[in-house]
Amino acid sequence: MKVTELVDKLELEVVAGPFEREISGIYVGDLLSNVMARAQADDVWLTVHGHQNVVAVASLTQVAAVIVVEDFPIEPAAVQKAKEMEVTILRTPMTASDLIRKLFELGL
Amino acid sequence: MRELSLHILDIAQNSIAASASIIEIYIDENSIQDRLTIRIADNGRGIPQHQLAQVMDPFFTSRKTRGVGLGLALFAQAAKGAEGELLIDSNVGTGTTVTATFRYSHIDRAPLGDLAGTLLGVIMLNPEVEVVYQHTCLERTLCIDTREIKSELGSIAINHPAVMNWLEGFVREGIDDLYGGE
Repeated sequence: MKVTELVDKLELEVVAGPFEREISGIYVGDLLSNVMARAQADDVWLTVHGHQNVVAVASLTQVAAVIVVEDFPIEPAAVQKAKEMEVTILRTPMTASDLIRKLFELGL
Repeated sequence: MRELSLHILDIAQNSIAASASIIEIYIDENSIQDRLTIRIADNGRGIPQHQLAQVMDPFFTSRKTRGVGLGLALFAQAAKGAEGELLIDSNVGTGTTVTATFRYSHIDRAPLGDLAGTLLGVIMLNPEVEVVYQHTCLERTLCIDTREIKSELGSIAINHPAVMNWLEGFVREGIDDLYGGE
């Protein structure tokens, strides 16, 4: 599934991007060092963090997009960096678990 | 990183990469003031003034083979997330001091983790580097200085298995005692 398709179907807020990528999996985690180790390229990564370190980790792991859940705040520096690095940041009021259920329904 | 000891290890590795010959690790657990302070000071080559502002920027580091890595950025985030902060003081030719503070009881403060294992790892892999470890819990303090140990050892290497074995017991017991262990 494409990032833009996901945005439309789940009515996600686009914070940075969207930079079109194909999504092939899901990763959930807030411990950035662990995300660095475990997230796969082309995953969508669900987190509560809105710090620019998230953009660095997203860029390193080559995830397809970051989704900030529960409408957590996202720092302007992170948004700026995401645009520069072409990292898509999306946001939703949903919890990670609610969002994952919807992602499953969409076949991810 | 799940445990603060991993951050300490990461910063100590920066010190070694900066050619430090002395690394001092201070940990102060002050549950009365509800403050945890971790300080790693080295006598490495230091960070030039114009780079100091950038070292906590993950992009300054993760993209270049030089220097610091995402380590400082993540350490800073761990401190901020627990109502603390990360300060870096560095002078070229003199060394670098990294100080992280945390609210001791903050729910998001990561546990200290395996400090003994971290310390032993640093000593074992860098026998030529002098390591000072000072860990305070209120009125109790544990002090370890590899220079003192080496002067006792004479010509025996500090990372000789028998020495490491003894040192491990000494450090683990010392840390247990800080927490009122029997």
